[in-house]
Amino acid sequence: MSLSFKESRRRTASAFMYALCAASTLAIVTVLLMVAGYLAWIGASSLSWNLLTTVPTGDVANPGGMRHAIDGTIVLVLLAAMLGVPLGVLAGIYLSEYPEEARLTGPLRFIADVLTGVPSIVVGILGYELLVVPVSRLTENSISFSGFAGAGALAFIMIPIVARTTEEMLRLVPRSYREGSLALGATRSQTIFRVVLPGAFGGITTGIVLAMGRIAGETAPLLFTALGSRLLTHDPRQPFPSLTLQIYTYATGPYPEQRRLAWAGMLVLLALLFVLNLAVRIVAARQARGRLH
Amino acid sequence: MPGSVSMTKTPARIETHSRPSTPVVRPIPQADSGQYPLIDAIKRGETPEPMRHESVQSVGQILDIRNFELWYGATKALHGITMPIAAGKVTALIGPSGCGKSTLLRSVNRLNDLIDGVRTSGTIALDGKDVYARNVDVITLRKRLGMVFQKPNPFPMSIFENVVYALRIAGERRKSLLQEACEKALRQAALWDEVKDRLKASAMGLSGGQQQRLCIARAIVSEPQVLLLDEPCSALDPIATLRIEELIIEIGRRYTVLIVTHNMQQAARVSDFTAFMYLGRLVEYGRTADIFQLPRLRETEDYVTGRFG
Repeated sequence: MSLSFKESRRRTASAFMYALCAASTLAIVTVLLMVAGYLAWIGASSLSWNLLTTVPTGDVANPGGMRHAIDGTIVLVLLAAMLGVPLGVLAGIYLSEYPEEARLTGPLRFIADVLTGVPSIVVGILGYELLVVPVSRLTENSISFSGFAGAGALAFIMIPIVARTTEEMLRLVPRSYREGSLALGATRSQTIFRVVLPGAFGGITTGIVLAMGRIAGETAPLLFTALGSRLLTHDPRQPFPSLTLQIYTYATGPYPEQRRLAWAGMLVLLALLFVLNLAVRIVAARQARGRLH
Repeated sequence: MPGSVSMTKTPARIETHSRPSTPVVRPIPQADSGQYPLIDAIKRGETPEPMRHESVQSVGQILDIRNFELWYGATKALHGITMPIAAGKVTALIGPSGCGKSTLLRSVNRLNDLIDGVRTSGTIALDGKDVYARNVDVITLRKRLGMVFQKPNPFPMSIFENVVYALRIAGERRKSLLQEACEKALRQAALWDEVKDRLKASAMGLSGGQQQRLCIARAIVSEPQVLLLDEPCSALDPIATLRIEELIIEIGRRYTVLIVTHNMQQAARVSDFTAFMYLGRLVEYGRTADIFQLPRLRETEDYVTGRFG
């Protein structure tokens, strides 16, 4: 009697927990779909070929497209990656591969974790003070907002993320690779660059692409550094446009046509991030298949 | 342990090896019963003089281990090991888990240097020069020694690049030379016929036994003076194990091999000399035939027949 009672109580509890978990997941997915759906609903009506190919006209009733901002975001992210990827990966190697310097790497790891959580507006102000003001003084220019400053601020966000993912991925590489290489008379750097790093290639690439996705969606770090621009420019010494900045400007403005454009811009940004994430999945799947072999 | 299959003790084989007419009738002796004076002394923490057969002294030596001791932090793992290793022969290290055989093997190419808190005393001389001497360059030393590990550890690159790795890191770029060396090493490792058509394929796609033979090819490509094998079959199935054993016998004709094994039949099959270790000490060391058929210590006799250890 009591046994079957316990049994049925256990089943009820189990079913309850299952329902709770399923409901939570459903709630999250629903909200996500609502956001995406609403965005698509409103944004799609303004989506046009012109949006992707033309630049702002200056006419508030017929504001033109966002080609400049799309290009701007891509250039900013690539510039930031050029700085952030090598620095981040090298820092990750240092954290993972030089355990005898634990007295230094311990605090560094902590700092990297704190930096990952720094509010992006703080990074924006920091970028302004370090990358805009000094350049203004140097060039005796009243405004030195630039694509370089924006990319620098984005790289600042990217570096700790890339460093920590690189470290984690390197740690997953079996110790036997390192020992095998060292036993053959390889130096430590030969071991790292020829065996360990290739062994973690997929994971590190995934981390880098995710970090690029993260910075592509940042607005605050660019507010005081790249500033934004209505011109199609590929010269990072100039104030530089980005999708997020353009969306911010249009969405907070009073003109309905520009607001409609902001919605469409958001849709484009989401599409860019989606493509980026899809690329990650493909890389990760390839990596997984490689492991199976 | 995933590799336990190959380590399963098969008494039948042992009996054909040593004395078929002697069934196990003696009761298993208890610790401190006085039957194992050497083991009892070791258990008390002493380092008694091991039974070293004269036969091990009479051959040309390539490695000479003298009074070698090793500590992991405060724990002493090797106690006064003194043993010469014969040049051009296969020497097996046997003993129960934790007896220090792998530690001793990894001391020869100083792989233990990578572990925090390892200290050593005594000497291991390779060709008459102590590998622990101050002026020894560890990288150069390791280039003279090949090593194969318990678990096959091919690198995440092509079969070809795996084999020629040692040459690549030495700066060799000549394609024809690399190809020649690759083929030679793969032939010696009895793998050439199976992989010659897919040298550019990832080494990860090979079976476990093939991977281990690849690792052997990788270890011998630069013609090392001594080949160190750390339980090379413990992660392999019986058939792959057999192939590796045949290979070790073959390679033993060309190279000096020092092999750690859990599997006593394996030691009996592949080696010329066998050293029995216990709790970080050498117990008995002699020709493999003698150790398995005419051991001088009851400890050794009972260990190799599976009655103790």
